[in-house]
Amino acid sequence: MIGILKGMAVTMRHALDGKKFTVKYPEEEPEVSPRFRGVHKFSQERCIWCRQCENVCPNDTIQIVMDDQRNGEQYNLHIGQCIYCRLCEEVCPVDAILLTQNFEFTADTKDEFIYNKEQLKNVPWYKGIDPLNSRNPDRGAWIGEGDGEVDYQ
Amino acid sequence: MSIELPDTTDVAEQSPEELAELLDELVIGRDDHLNAPGFVIKPDTVVDALSRLRDQAGFDHLSCVTAQEYEDRYESIYHLTKFADRTQEVSVVVPADKENPVSQSANEVFRTADWHEREAYDLVGIEYEGHPDLRRILLPDTWQGHPLGLEYDQDQPQVVSLREHANPLLEDQKAPGGSETMFINIGPHHPATHGVLHVKAVLDGEQVVDLEPDIGYLHRCEEQMCQSSTYRYQIMPYPDRWDYISAGLLNEWAYARAAEDMADIDVPEYAQVIRTMGAELCRMAAHFLALGTFALDIYGDFTAIFMYSIRDREKVQNILEELTGQRLMFNYFRLGGVVWDLPEPREEFFEMTRDFLDELPTAVQEYHDMITSNEILQMRTIDTGVLPKEVAKSYGATGPVARGSGIDYDLRRDDPYGYYENLDWDVVVEDGCDNYSRLLVRMREVEQSARIVEQCIDLLEDWPEDERNIQANVPRTIKPDDDTEIYRAVEGAKGELGIYMRADGTEKPARFKIRSPCFSNLQTLPEMSNGEYVPDAIASLGSLDIVLGEVDR
Amino acid sequence: MPGLLQGEVLLPEGLANLLGLGGPLGEAIATLLAAFIVGNIMLAMTGVAGPWAKRKITAAFTDRYAVDRIGPFGLLTIVTDSVRLLSKELIIPTNADRPSYDIAPVILPASALLGFAVIPMGELGPLNIHLADPEAGLALVFAFASIASVSLVMGGYASNNKYSLMGGLRAVAQNIAYEIPLIVTAMSVVIFAGSLQMSTIVAEQSATLISLGGFSIPAWYAFVNPFAFVLFLAANMAEIGRNPFDIPEAPTEIVGGYQTEYSSVYFVLFYLGEFLHVFLGGAIMATVFLGGPAGPVLPGFVWFVIKIWAFFLFTQWARSALPRVRIDQLIEIGWKGMLVLSFANLVLTAIIVGVIA
Repeated sequence: MIGILKGMAVTMRHALDGKKFTVKYPEEEPEVSPRFRGVHKFSQERCIWCRQCENVCPNDTIQIVMDDQRNGEQYNLHIGQCIYCRLCEEVCPVDAILLTQNFEFTADTKDEFIYNKEQLKNVPWYKGIDPLNSRNPDRGAWIGEGDGEVDYQ
Repeated sequence: MSIELPDTTDVAEQSPEELAELLDELVIGRDDHLNAPGFVIKPDTVVDALSRLRDQAGFDHLSCVTAQEYEDRYESIYHLTKFADRTQEVSVVVPADKENPVSQSANEVFRTADWHEREAYDLVGIEYEGHPDLRRILLPDTWQGHPLGLEYDQDQPQVVSLREHANPLLEDQKAPGGSETMFINIGPHHPATHGVLHVKAVLDGEQVVDLEPDIGYLHRCEEQMCQSSTYRYQIMPYPDRWDYISAGLLNEWAYARAAEDMADIDVPEYAQVIRTMGAELCRMAAHFLALGTFALDIYGDFTAIFMYSIRDREKVQNILEELTGQRLMFNYFRLGGVVWDLPEPREEFFEMTRDFLDELPTAVQEYHDMITSNEILQMRTIDTGVLPKEVAKSYGATGPVARGSGIDYDLRRDDPYGYYENLDWDVVVEDGCDNYSRLLVRMREVEQSARIVEQCIDLLEDWPEDERNIQANVPRTIKPDDDTEIYRAVEGAKGELGIYMRADGTEKPARFKIRSPCFSNLQTLPEMSNGEYVPDAIASLGSLDIVLGEVDR
Repeated sequence: MPGLLQGEVLLPEGLANLLGLGGPLGEAIATLLAAFIVGNIMLAMTGVAGPWAKRKITAAFTDRYAVDRIGPFGLLTIVTDSVRLLSKELIIPTNADRPSYDIAPVILPASALLGFAVIPMGELGPLNIHLADPEAGLALVFAFASIASVSLVMGGYASNNKYSLMGGLRAVAQNIAYEIPLIVTAMSVVIFAGSLQMSTIVAEQSATLISLGGFSIPAWYAFVNPFAFVLFLAANMAEIGRNPFDIPEAPTEIVGGYQTEYSSVYFVLFYLGEFLHVFLGGAIMATVFLGGPAGPVLPGFVWFVIKIWAFFLFTQWARSALPRVRIDQLIEIGWKGMLVLSFANLVLTAIIVGVIA
């Protein structure tokens, strides 16, 4: 019997101390860490159309269309299909594509989730934060700061 | 201050020559893998070879059965090791004819082979003679073709007509012979099956006469997807999705370990410490959820324990979010290290983690008050779902399921990787073999993981600033040599998660086989619940703690 | 009439006096009105308990905010939930045994409401809310409450679903096993009162047990025989199917038990019926052990409501903390444990009363 009573005492203690663990969303916006991976934001000024992001995406989520002179025409990213692995941001040499902390996006049909470059440019920052500065420290990790030969294929 | 390594001095060690001598006339060739000597034998001598290795050389753990198709032959590989000494491994390679791939089943020697061979038949197409029940396991019964074979057309869609399956709406008939049993389908839609698991149960009143798990509802072709992704970057998001209940980093480590050993990459020490810390946080989160859902199975829907364990898990996920950027699908490890150092400012991260660790003993005490010392729960879980030690070994059960049956097997200690051997922690083993001891194992493992995380935090805090190397210098594409094969395993949240990879000179693996712990653990369910009551069968299923993402891949 | 509280009249008579209705027709109308009022009071309480209070209480135990969006404190959730439940599609499985399938969900709340007819609920203003006071009131209440198991079995069998069948069988086994300890325990304290009439039982409990420095503790049978109180509590929880004895509808094992195949209106009736039975159990307990509507300061009816809500809270508390026992363990506890204990209690009480009185 003691065990049963101990268990019941624990739940009653929780009920009476009135502390809540949940958050009243959307009145209170939750804190997310600066590294949180949300919707992408694309900057056409910085993009050099190297297609590394398209190459590395595990999902074929990024589709780039070039014209005959190898100029970039379309940059399409299906944010519904994306797995938010951040590999595209990692391999991009110029920080043209970056994952904001924004997780609030909706659409009516799945096809509306295919964002082209205009929509990707206009993705709002979450709480106005540009997370690039808090992620910069990893840049040196693979861009040739180690010793020895690095393979830049 | 390091862990006590197991006393393996009295476990006999055989050199490859001794093993060759043991197998003597059965060996027709050698095919050494990076992790173990490999002996090629004829397909009709499998039982003989494996029983010799098990009985005379002491290899009592069939870790994995890999099947693959080459241009000129089929091949089954039996990866054997010893529970007593994990560092000794041997592979038995069984080629089969291309036209008519038939090979002898190893089911008589190791019960693990039952489901593994069914999967090999299903996905690759090798038929196993002497197998008690060779049917498809992951794909529907009426599927045409074998997807991981070479002639399978991946682009052609296939429509499976279920009308050839048994009609679920058939009139219930009295079985001939006047038996009094009732056939009932538990799942796939069921509040207690931890995912989409279908259990075909035959009941006699409230007692279970026969249970047969039917899996494959969550088969997502993970192995095939990994075979079409590059080693360096593209495979890494996938392991997160095998055991998706917060054990992402543990799965990623399995892949990272196998690929790093294959491509001969050294991980810097600082990254090892971070990896260890992240992995143990993941293990805690996974065990919290296991606790919560087990309580849910026994307590019913409104239990508060489930919510308390989810709350603790949320705290762990907050820490992991600070570290990796995501709460569930981390994609944090890379070949050669980790992708990010600890978040700046470091002191805040340490404070957050230390706060969590300080609150942990009260939370664990709460669980003890509510769960383990509750008499009704003890009535329900002690002596139910019994899995004897030898049966568990034969089925290849690992992880908390095995440690709850008295098997002292933990890959972190027996086959050390990461920073585990330099830290001070214990392996938790209970002898009860029932649901209660598995529960206790998980609760105590949470405490041990907390110890490891605390030691890692202390190390990371004092690490000199210029030696904080988070990733080794790894080229951007990795192309291991042709015909390099490796099988490596880590201690995932549910048990031994192993990965077999074969390289063929390109940047994508030619064969990627995942040895999932839940797959082998789930096989023990009929063993545990035949003859017991339905509520106990459900409780045993909960204590096995399966994740369908890992079972079905 | 002997035994009524302070010479109050029953509700039909009170209503007739209030509204000035006379003659047999007037009495009949007053009776119907009284029944309507009593039924609605209980339904209203269930309405608050089901969608709102249960969730708030569970949330308090689990450190969460709960229903607090619609209306003040989320009270309008009751309206929205009712609309939602009633507007769902009524799906009836083929081969369901038709009349029984439809009757089962009606019997459950009906039996509970019938039970409320004889429970003295105290006075509120000029009215004494007590519908009828037959001489074998307590036996009548237990009889009505037991009809519930018929409903569960009917629902379980008629649904043409193996899970429902299992649930129905478990319900029957559980109800039978705990019926006897329940009634025997109640009998053992009613020996003190010497009568089965509900108003007599309540009246006898208003006598003073002891006087402690100015406070007089009334002779509530919970204080006189706490052992019987605990036994009755446990048996009651088993009768109404609440943790730790909620096997008939164990959601994680047999999906919904007897409720699996019911949707929309029928589900609402089952849900309501379950809560009504919880309140009925609380009402019996309050009447037999806690002195009915007795209490200082506040009107009797308010105390009565407080007591049955306390019982409801207790079941929710047990629900959040206690696992459920397996069916064979349940039967064992019922037939071997509680039966023996309750009979021992009865015999002992009879001896004591015979010796003292």
